[in-house]
Amino acid sequence: MRIFRNLRQALRGVALNKANTFLMTLGIIVGIGSLTVIVAIGEGTKAKVLDRISSLGFGPDSFSVYAGSGRLFFARSGATTSLSLQDVDDIRALPTVRLVIPRQRKRSRVIYKKEFTATRVYGVTPEWQIARDWDMTDGAFFTDQDMERKRRVIVLGSTPAKKLFGDQDPIGKMVRVGDVFFQVIGLLEEKGLTESGYDPDDRSLIPLTTSISRLTHQTYLHSAKVMALDPSLVEKTMEDVRLILRENHNLSPLADDDFRYITPEGIMQWVTESSQALNRMLVLISTVSLLVGGIVIMNILLVSIRERVREIGIRRCFGARRSDITQQFLFESIFVAILGGILGTAIGLAVAIIFQRFDILPTKITWEPFALAFAFSTVIGLVFGIQPARKAAMLSPEESLR
Amino acid sequence: MSLIELRSIGKTYQSAGLDVEVLKNVSLRIKEGEYVSIIGPSGAGKSTLMTIMGCLGLPSQGIYILDGEEVGQVSDRELSRIRNEKIGFVFQAFHLLPGVTAIDNVMMPLLYSDKVPKDAKQRAQAVLEKVMLGHRLTHTPGQLSGGEQQRVTIARSLINNPKILLADEPTGNLDSKNGVEIMKTFDRLNQEGTTIILITHDQEVALHAQRILTIKDGQIESDQWNENFQKSQAGPARSGVE
Repeated sequence: MRIFRNLRQALRGVALNKANTFLMTLGIIVGIGSLTVIVAIGEGTKAKVLDRISSLGFGPDSFSVYAGSGRLFFARSGATTSLSLQDVDDIRALPTVRLVIPRQRKRSRVIYKKEFTATRVYGVTPEWQIARDWDMTDGAFFTDQDMERKRRVIVLGSTPAKKLFGDQDPIGKMVRVGDVFFQVIGLLEEKGLTESGYDPDDRSLIPLTTSISRLTHQTYLHSAKVMALDPSLVEKTMEDVRLILRENHNLSPLADDDFRYITPEGIMQWVTESSQALNRMLVLISTVSLLVGGIVIMNILLVSIRERVREIGIRRCFGARRSDITQQFLFESIFVAILGGILGTAIGLAVAIIFQRFDILPTKITWEPFALAFAFSTVIGLVFGIQPARKAAMLSPEESLR
Repeated sequence: MSLIELRSIGKTYQSAGLDVEVLKNVSLRIKEGEYVSIIGPSGAGKSTLMTIMGCLGLPSQGIYILDGEEVGQVSDRELSRIRNEKIGFVFQAFHLLPGVTAIDNVMMPLLYSDKVPKDAKQRAQAVLEKVMLGHRLTHTPGQLSGGEQQRVTIARSLINNPKILLADEPTGNLDSKNGVEIMKTFDRLNQEGTTIILITHDQEVALHAQRILTIKDGQIESDQWNENFQKSQAGPARSGVE
């Protein structure tokens, strides 16, 4: 086939004019390289967030209600006295709700003899363990009886346990939280740091009733986790919960919610939105550099055509058609662009791996950059090669041999 | 029947808004197997005549019939095909593809044939052997002497078995020893039946041909048979064809 012969001639041209080829690839390398890094960072961030979400212990059937207005983890109002035990009871009464776990939270210093550590102390109900599906390595979780009697018992996460007790067995020991002594009755299984550096083990749990009477001295809740009977019921349940809370809190129809939801989708959406602005800018930059790369290809090709007028003339003398010359130069431009794309992807991947290795930015390598690079560079080679290739083909053979 | 027939060919170039008439009313017939020199001072229109005969450009006036086909207002595609199949070019400046081996240079015209023959490599090798370059197949032009390069271009012009070999000052860039070698090659090719049209300003080179056309100011001034044809390769050049 004639077209394959022209393709081979183009390959040879690219190989023979190494200096030109190198210069032409530069712009594409930068463009595709940065695009590869951007995609890797985008994917990495997404993975990090997903990882973070899973560390929050959400299943597809659950969501959390937090006291105070605002969005997600960012409370707008300082007053977090909006979520009450009554609210939780009302939510629990909904037919679509399987479990509600009310939570109080206080960051406190936990002390054992001369050792101490600051950790998040949660007041929760015994169902917490069921909802989180979190195993114990030693001892037991507190019971309904502990709740009723407001017992001063504590379950330690592995991080405070290690800091306070080292190699000793903590079970049965007394630790001080603030001014109050608690007996350690259980140890949570270690989950380990998440990819993003969040430590889910840095927590301790006490009965909610004990927390109310001994630690926070108030009945308002920090948040509540709601598990629906089925993932498909989550949306309806959220709507019902909103109605209950607005009624309980006497909110006028015009008032904003004084509570907020945290759902996996909500977090995801927030991350996407906040990373989108940055992503858009980066995509713009790499698009511009790809365009510049294309213009570089076009110009160098135009110059190289002037250098290669002879070659074109000779080929035409011996029977090359205009279309043969067009094809040859178009293929050259596409080859150069694809070569730049390949090198750019390689460099971009190397940068992404370095970012990951040295913890500079989270990155994740996926197949998309390869496809993107291939498609982009082919298009650029084609678009910016057309004009020079046509120019080469329009040279008259008699003049090009003068 | 003539292989080449020019009927009142004229060629006008536009230069700085002025019409420059390079060829005026040139009529000419060349039969198959002829060995023709076209001589004349520079600027006489020799090269323009060659471009027209070589189908590299179209005449402004007149009719050109090549091998029974009228090369009139045909498409670029058709012209390319005619060049590819019927004409072999040899240039003063060789015009080989730089960085490409001798054998690949010789095979280049085959790329633009409708079908590449299966024995392309053998054919290229054979024509290179014909010009005594069987030992230089994989050398690039930079590795060859001027004479060798010119022989590669001759081999290249022969690869498609053209009807006509058009040579434009083939010895112009060569020393006398290499020039003699190249002319011997042409003589031999003509003896084997190839039609050769040789453009030169060198009387001595012109005398290798059987027929000598003199061009001056875009017109044929004389059209002579070389009486000493055959002998000319051995004997001293005769001066003054007129």
